[in-house]
Amino acid sequence: MALFGSSSAASSAAVPTSAEQIKKQLKEQISLELAVANATELVNKITQNCFDKCIQEPQDQITSQQSTCTSQCLEKYMRSWNVISKAYIARIQQEKQ
Amino acid sequence: MSQITQTALQNLDESSRKDILQFIESENSKSKVQMSIHNFTDMCFKKCNDNVPITSNMLAPHEEKCLTNCLNRFLDTNIKVVSALQAQK
Repeated sequence: MALFGSSSAASSAAVPTSAEQIKKQLKEQISLELAVANATELVNKITQNCFDKCIQEPQDQITSQQSTCTSQCLEKYMRSWNVISKAYIARIQQEKQ
Repeated sequence: MSQITQTALQNLDESSRKDILQFIESENSKSKVQMSIHNFTDMCFKKCNDNVPITSNMLAPHEEKCLTNCLNRFLDTNIKVVSALQAQK
């Protein structure tokens, strides 16, 4: 499953008229909104986890150590997301049988 | 993005409406799965990195194992709880 969903370029055409156009546009809007919600959730979870993990004692400024930790944490979290995603989908398929 | 007008929506034919509803349903279930994955990742990332500092952007094999075990044992627990509650009825 793609992390951010598939977002096709937003059509900047004039007001849609035909049923086909309206359908297409509705679907694009729905997909886009869900993709944004999904990305927002990911950003929030990563911020929470990496803030807890890397910024133990907040200073005047972020230290280079904290900054390194944060970027490593970010990548590690996304890798973890992918591992959980694969394992969960495998489990769903296994339970269906 | 141009707005879809109210009248244009009302004028949609029956088959288009069905098509849209079906699309929403499938996107909705996809979204539910994604939200579950967010919660599981949050929970298992915390469990598997408890008291260990982040020192790499990679997942070591044992960390990957910890994540999949965490997920599968959580789901086992969930299934056990549900069946235990069902048995009580």
